[in-house]
Amino acid sequence: MGRRRRRVDRGAAVGALPEAIAALSRTLPAGPSPEIFRRAKFDRPEAAPALWQLLFRVLSPLSADGASASPAQEAQVRAVKSELRSQGYPRQALAQLPEDGSQGSRELLLALAWLLARGPLLERLLAQTRVRLGDEIPLCECEALARPGPPVPRVEADGPVDIRHLQWLMGKLRFQWRKLITSQQEQCALLGKIHSYTRGCHSDRSLGHLSVAETELLRDAEGGQQLLRRLESENVCLEAALRWRRQELVFWRWMDTVLGTCPPEASQPTFVPRIPERGAGEWELVARELQALQEELRGAAEPRRAAWEARVGGWGPEWSAVQRASREAVGLELAALQRAWERGGAAAQPHGPCRLVKSDAGASGGPGLRAAQVIEVLRSREACLEAVLCQLQRQCRQELARLAGALPGLIWILPPGR
Amino acid sequence: MLPADCSRRLVAELRDALDACAERQRQLERSLRVSRRLLRTWEPAETPAPQPTPAPETSGEAPSPESTPSSQDLKELELLTQALEKAVRVRKGISKTGERHKALSLKSGSAATSATTASAPSRPSGQASCRVSETKPPRGIQQTVVPARGLPESRLLSVGDRTHMGRGSRATKPGPGPRDQQIPPSAALQAPEAFTLKEKGADVDCWLPQPLWKPCSGLEGGSPQSAASLSTGFPDRILLRLPMAYRKAASRNSRLWAQLSSAQTSDSMDAAATAKTQFLQKMQMTSGGPGSGLSAAAVEAEVGLLRTACLLLRRRMEEVLSADPADCMQEYRCLLTLEGLQAITEQCLHRLQELRAAVVGRQLGPWPVGRRPGASLPCGGGTDPLWSPQLLLYSSTQELQTLEALRLRLAMLDQQIHLEKVLMAELLPLVGTQGPHWLALCRAVHSLLCEGGERFLTVLRDEPAD
Repeated sequence: MGRRRRRVDRGAAVGALPEAIAALSRTLPAGPSPEIFRRAKFDRPEAAPALWQLLFRVLSPLSADGASASPAQEAQVRAVKSELRSQGYPRQALAQLPEDGSQGSRELLLALAWLLARGPLLERLLAQTRVRLGDEIPLCECEALARPGPPVPRVEADGPVDIRHLQWLMGKLRFQWRKLITSQQEQCALLGKIHSYTRGCHSDRSLGHLSVAETELLRDAEGGQQLLRRLESENVCLEAALRWRRQELVFWRWMDTVLGTCPPEASQPTFVPRIPERGAGEWELVARELQALQEELRGAAEPRRAAWEARVGGWGPEWSAVQRASREAVGLELAALQRAWERGGAAAQPHGPCRLVKSDAGASGGPGLRAAQVIEVLRSREACLEAVLCQLQRQCRQELARLAGALPGLIWILPPGR
Repeated sequence: MLPADCSRRLVAELRDALDACAERQRQLERSLRVSRRLLRTWEPAETPAPQPTPAPETSGEAPSPESTPSSQDLKELELLTQALEKAVRVRKGISKTGERHKALSLKSGSAATSATTASAPSRPSGQASCRVSETKPPRGIQQTVVPARGLPESRLLSVGDRTHMGRGSRATKPGPGPRDQQIPPSAALQAPEAFTLKEKGADVDCWLPQPLWKPCSGLEGGSPQSAASLSTGFPDRILLRLPMAYRKAASRNSRLWAQLSSAQTSDSMDAAATAKTQFLQKMQMTSGGPGSGLSAAAVEAEVGLLRTACLLLRRRMEEVLSADPADCMQEYRCLLTLEGLQAITEQCLHRLQELRAAVVGRQLGPWPVGRRPGASLPCGGGTDPLWSPQLLLYSSTQELQTLEALRLRLAMLDQQIHLEKVLMAELLPLVGTQGPHWLALCRAVHSLLCEGGERFLTVLRDEPAD
């Protein structure tokens, strides 16, 4: 009886695995068939190219968005290897695979599973290529930073340049920002108009009006068809993702067996790491800032401590209880401060893209953020950044004054203040 | 002249900043083009023949932009509206039985008068389309243009857009007579009808095939091509409806996203989560790579966090230093806070050194390329990421403009701070060493670093008077 049940269970499991894998590959861009996965378990070479391409699409999501045709096999292989290494992929065998992309399907399968296990990879991929139906604005810049723009072919300025060239570039930058702000204001005005004109047209009552994309859909039937197709294919992907979520346990059990078939690796150092300029520069800046801060704090705290000790020297034991209470209170405050950056501090801040909805001021209590609140938060952030900039400029002024003071016989007339 | 490597780095940084700005501008231009196109009014086209071929060029843009309608055109518009009215009355007679159609036609009866659709040339096609509509009664093909509830004509003129305003007001002038008569009865019916139209779930997709759009495509049944006529630039509030297929797909989409976000927390998820962590551990154990789990990306993230830490610590320090302690206890607290901040700063420095050692000593891969080290306050993303966007409600255009302006200002300040730091790091050492043209360099550096390149100081040579 038990044996029969076990056989039935295995039969069910056998059916569930291809389904789960099919759901997974439906969700992924350029997902290969379950057969490829099965072959990869046995490290068959014919499964390798498909898996290389899959990893490439997964790891470099937006640049390979169809705009640029997928690069050559070697370039893909190199890109995948470097990205996995920088994310901390532990296995060495991947780095040793040949660049023509003909081998290593089992290793690639493990790499894919590693990426899936670490974080919400599927959701992140889907969110990046999401069809944007509303007029969205990103409230924080983290997405904009994480997504590099298309690489602009730039002619490197090889020779030494005059500082006037730098001044010119700064001026150009300032002017561009001003232009950007005016264009943005115009866009807001147009958006406001479109939103108020299409009020009452949306079937979703909480939204109330159409967005630009939806109005465009009405105006241009051809484009509307395209949008609809994209929307429907996204729906299919989402359903596949939900199926995958329900069935993924089977996949993980299977991946354990795949890992079991691999021979364990011996630990071996392989290459000398290079620290490119940018990374080092960032580190330098932070180190310098922290050191400067430390100096300032020391300069502020030590005299106070000395003064305090001098004053309080002879005070009695009843002080110590009060002192302990103060110490605890300050400790708690500082711990909260530390948590603020360790956790990213994002809880209080609005995060992520938001869909703009024009509604009357009376609509309170409904879902969604209110622009007034967001404006407050942004203003406080602006004040903070302005303070930082002012402080940096002050530092520069002091430093330059110190350097210029070395030369007597000159009068420095500062420009009129702001 | 600056030394070569310094020049190269600085020019690269400034060009990066310019590229980022240009990228934003490009995206903005794209959105502006779309929005402007939507709001542009449909001119009377030059040639009467409606193009049956679905050429996308003719379907989209108005062929002759920005030509103002002549009185001739206005007369033709009026004739057109009267023709439409008549068609509607005929339809009303035909479809007297269906109460849905009655509601429709009542609405469109009042509305068609203000349906100042594009042009005289559309008249033949308009009539053709009306005939088409008559042959397909279940497809309520009606233009529903609902006059703005109770808003006077002056509203048209108060909107600041000159191009479509002039046309809009002039175009509707011929028709205020019949419209005024129709407003009172329709106004009362508007509220319930607006929603009854919608609540009757059937495909009341409204469109009036325009000559500028593909009129023949309107004959294809079942296609969600309800390119509802965006008539002369939204002079009034227009009640358009999105096609049914789109609405279904969009609601399914939002439902699926909601399910996906909530699927994170369920029992099956816990089992899968433990399976995943076990898999990762096994993988770590059987592999030969860096055992600490530190990757270049993680190091970069930590450096970013430490930068945020520095900012927060500094802000706190300034708060403490600027506060005036009123009594002993507060003084003591200030002191303790300062010492606590000092301790934390040392911890951070220590951690930074550790990260440095990790990068140098271990086998970390190449730095992740393409990611700009910016962001003064990076959001950790540690909180639950919302995969589909939440709503942001604004109440007026000014509010939206303020919001966007603030957002851009923050990005600009971010960039400025980053550039300031880079320039400081590169240029201050140069000023320290006195070379030729030192004064000019000093002056330029001062303007770049201390005034953001906007103002210059003057240097006077103080010669003793003879």
